[in-house]
Amino acid sequence: MSGLAVDDAAWASAWRHRSPADKLLLSGGLVVCALVLPAWPGSVLVGLTAVVLALGPARVPARTFGRAVRWPLAFIAVGALTSVVTVGTGGLGWAPDATARAGSLVGSALAGSAAVLLLATTTPMSDLLPALRRLRVPAAVVEVASVTYRLLFVLLDSLRTVREAQTARMGYSTAGRGWRSSGALAAAVLTRSWDRARRMQEGLAGRGMETGLRVLPEVLPSSPGFRAATVTGLAALVSLSLVVAGAAA
Amino acid sequence: MHIAEGFLPVTHAVGWTLAAAPFVVHGARRVVVEVRERPESTLLLGAAGAFTFVLSAVKLPSFTGSSSHPTGTGAGAVLFRPPVMALLGTVVLLFQALLLAHGGLTTLGANAFAFAVVGPWAGYGAYRFTRRLGGGLLAGVFAAMVLADLATYVTTATQLALALPDAETGVAGALVKFLAVFALTQVPLALGEGLLGVLLFRALTANARPELERLGLLAPAPEPAR
Repeated sequence: MSGLAVDDAAWASAWRHRSPADKLLLSGGLVVCALVLPAWPGSVLVGLTAVVLALGPARVPARTFGRAVRWPLAFIAVGALTSVVTVGTGGLGWAPDATARAGSLVGSALAGSAAVLLLATTTPMSDLLPALRRLRVPAAVVEVASVTYRLLFVLLDSLRTVREAQTARMGYSTAGRGWRSSGALAAAVLTRSWDRARRMQEGLAGRGMETGLRVLPEVLPSSPGFRAATVTGLAALVSLSLVVAGAAA
Repeated sequence: MHIAEGFLPVTHAVGWTLAAAPFVVHGARRVVVEVRERPESTLLLGAAGAFTFVLSAVKLPSFTGSSSHPTGTGAGAVLFRPPVMALLGTVVLLFQALLLAHGGLTTLGANAFAFAVVGPWAGYGAYRFTRRLGGGLLAGVFAAMVLADLATYVTTATQLALALPDAETGVAGALVKFLAVFALTQVPLALGEGLLGVLLFRALTANARPELERLGLLAPAPEPAR
């Protein structure tokens, strides 16, 4: 257990050993469809496809998927509501096409978020980072991102431990103590991150690996069947959306 | 506050990505040069990225009764400078999108422009200005963290207003709406983050003075008289 539910789900997913490129094709295709297709029925179909694939064949826990959607949902709700309220000379009111506008915005945002979550809950970050090299991102940048990914779980663990100890000592019993504890907590995490980085560097240097920790990336072969099904499914989704949207217009 | 996936039209998503790209590429080049000259920097920069991510998991007591989370880019800009934060901030945003479902992939460029470019530069500018006026480290850090947070929030509100103009009053009306709605959480958060920065750097001054001296934030302590 890493402490991040989405990351835990990715490591435990039935699609964990599928090629990251295959999953990027599927999720990327769904994200683009959510962005460019009409909200009805395009966004609905994209959202349903992402949720069904995640909870079905990829075996992502429904609770994890549902909890993860809560983050963007709050922003989407507030943003969409704000966008359809008008401020005129007569005070507050609704935009003329408020329902359609809000529906379209919420639909494409929820569908896009579900498509990104499909990738996030089936592909650990350590599988995605090597793909950045193929996009010509400099090796040094990918190395820094990899170290960030590895260290953040150590720091999150430190954060929880220190906060637990502070709470047990009544560190958050009043607002004033809460502020002081939060400052000390952030400082403790920062100094621990420096200390951890220094000790890792000393350990690597002692083993003659002064340019960083080089590891063999796991090879996850691409599946022609999965790719063909993805392209066919996306084409069907686009066609159906355009036909239904055209009939409704 | 990050713009969620699918919230921006394609043209806006592409436009903000192009706007953020030069800053992120510049940051990446700085990191490549730094790592080439000092390979041990890889781990320190990775630690800085992880700290920025983890800082967003620190719950702050909110003035409105609930709790909120700092962005951490102001502290990062003071400690590691804005060009490096442009890259680290973008990496952190990518991780937040894929590990916390916070933000998105097509909105990564827009969020990077607000969170990793405008925020750190505004924060660092406020820090340098305060120090030049004679303010101490803590005053500079407070200004940096408040300004970085406010600049990020104003930029995000502007991005939303440009994408979703008001039916009657256009972009200007939409900007007023988004600024007003998000001010309820973002203004108290900015002040809270400034306070957190003061407490953070006060603790660092007491416990990690050599690191702050090495980063050029504090003058080396004078040798004790013999």
